[in-house]
Amino acid sequence: MKVLCGRVIRTILLFSCLLFLLAPLSRAEDTDQIFQDANDAMARGDLPSAITVLKKVPFSKSDDSGAFVRSRMQIARLQFALKDFSAATASTKEVLAVYPDNSEALNFLASVQKEQKPRYVVFWEDCLRFLPNLLKGAVMTITLVFCTMLISPLGGLLIALGRISRFKPFSTLCWFIIWLFRGTPLLLQLFFIYYGLPSLGITFKPFTAAILGLGLNYSAYLGEIIRGGIQSIEHGQMEAAKAIGMSYGQAMRRVIIPQTYKRLMPPIGNEFIALIKDTALVSTIAMVELMRSADQMFNAYFNVTALILAAIIYLVFTTFFTFIFEKIEHRAGIYENR
Amino acid sequence: MKTANQPLLSLKGITKRFGALTAVNGVDLDVCPGEIVVIIGPSGSGKSTLLRSVNFLEEIEEGTITFEGNEVGYVKNKHGRRHLDTPQKICALRSEIGMVFQHFNLFPHMTVLGNVMEGPLTVQRKSQEEARHIALDMLAKVGLSEKRDVYPATLSGGQKQRVAIARALAMRPKLMLFDEPTSALDPELIGEVFDTIRALGKEGMTMIIVTHQMGFAKEMADRVIFMEAGSFVAQGTPEDFFANQMEHDRIQSFLSRIL
Ligand SMILES: Nc1ncnc2c1ncn2[C@@H]1O[C@H](COP(=O)(O)OP(=O)(O)OP(=O)(O)O)[C@@H](O)[C@H]1O
Ligand SMILES: [Mg+2]
Repeated sequence: MKVLCGRVIRTILLFSCLLFLLAPLSRAEDTDQIFQDANDAMARGDLPSAITVLKKVPFSKSDDSGAFVRSRMQIARLQFALKDFSAATASTKEVLAVYPDNSEALNFLASVQKEQKPRYVVFWEDCLRFLPNLLKGAVMTITLVFCTMLISPLGGLLIALGRISRFKPFSTLCWFIIWLFRGTPLLLQLFFIYYGLPSLGITFKPFTAAILGLGLNYSAYLGEIIRGGIQSIEHGQMEAAKAIGMSYGQAMRRVIIPQTYKRLMPPIGNEFIALIKDTALVSTIAMVELMRSADQMFNAYFNVTALILAAIIYLVFTTFFTFIFEKIEHRAGIYENR
Repeated sequence: MKTANQPLLSLKGITKRFGALTAVNGVDLDVCPGEIVVIIGPSGSGKSTLLRSVNFLEEIEEGTITFEGNEVGYVKNKHGRRHLDTPQKICALRSEIGMVFQHFNLFPHMTVLGNVMEGPLTVQRKSQEEARHIALDMLAKVGLSEKRDVYPATLSGGQKQRVAIARALAMRPKLMLFDEPTSALDPELIGEVFDTIRALGKEGMTMIIVTHQMGFAKEMADRVIFMEAGSFVAQGTPEDFFANQMEHDRIQSFLSRIL
């Protein structure tokens, strides 16, 4: 009897020991099962029941396995996906109540709050965030554009006059400049001036290199355009100017070149619109202009608004210049209107 | 050096070649002050080329141009080769010789007044007021004062040519060259241009006029010259010229074609 009693006690003890040992294990099995069920529900696309299932993960003060946090964050994400932002916030706050420093929860809360705002508010906030930097870049872009717009027509005129000059060395030089700068990519020219010339002992600041590259390139293009404009003026104009005693220079300045303005305005306008966009290339030679600023903002925040804003600013510039050129073209041709 | 009877312009052996083609072939011509010389001739005979040579718009290969008693326009370099004088000298000469073109060649970007002022203003460096004063005078002379502020595009052909004449006159030239001034005009507009030229003749302007308008030649010319293949074939007073034209069957056939 005593033996039997001892056996029973041993067995009971053993079982209770086993039970005790297996208790946490069985609970772990439960949570896994819950997550499994939730996954199944999600796979079926049944998000609400996935949430219900996940809510079964019990709360525990010491959530060693992290199941509780995991479940609540999963719930929050599902609620977020269902656009129930206040519920998602509540679920996230459940986690924060226990672990106030949980970075996943904090980040998620921020994005939930952001999502809760109307899109235009978010966009507006992004704009305000990016705009100061982008505008600084835009000022540099405009500076580059204006400098090139001042230099290149003068350079272009010089090149054009050189091309039609009867003084061989000058016309050959101008032909060479056009050949070189129209025949190679602007990007390569900028690289050569900024990164290449230092190895020959010539070093430029980024701005100088940018102006030099853009100026020469656009002078070459405008040179050919202006030459075409000058040569399109009827030959009789030059003869009439000479017949009243004008020198070649006077005839060019007073008679020929002024008549090219209207004809030149559309192609030069086109070139200048292209120039506004080509300034983006100087971002590759350490210049911080609009494109570079947008790129920096985009990389820092991974936020597409920076790029959209930059596009808008470029569009404002190009639209404005198109408008101005149309006005100038109209003015320049006033004498043709009957 | 300058005498009363000396010709204003004297051409000796003017020869102009375009490659193998001799456009003007050894032409001699004396034009006295106040004389009106009309040159006629078939297309391609070198009339324009001759006029343009006088104004140094063409560089001649041979011959001399004497203006007011001085041989002008060409100098020899140290190798003995002839070439055009310095641009300054050529410009100064051109400003003393007015030229009117078949196609007017008005400056389209300047108003009528601007066109006429341009010479005095830019070439003679006169003041704005002075140039304006001269220009208004010249526009009055050609009867276009009321058109002073319009652009050439708004004018009729006859008006354009009169503005072109005023533009040339504003330089106060001593000699006027007209290269078919009415050939580009509708027949009804020819008269107004010739009226203007006629008035100039009455004022004593020396003129060389290339034209196909025989009526005008008969009426106004002191001398009529027939040019063909770069040479002067016949010349004389209008009376003689048109009376003796029968002697030249080529002149006759030319005239019968254009009359
Ligand atoms: N710049 C030039 N280059 C080559 N040949 C030319 C040039 N200018 C004129 N010629 C030729 O010289 C010849 C004379 O031309 P020009 O214009 O003087 O004749 P024209 O008498 O004025 O004729 P038209 O009555 O048609 O005006 C023509 O055969 C013409 O083809
Ligand atoms: Mg001719």
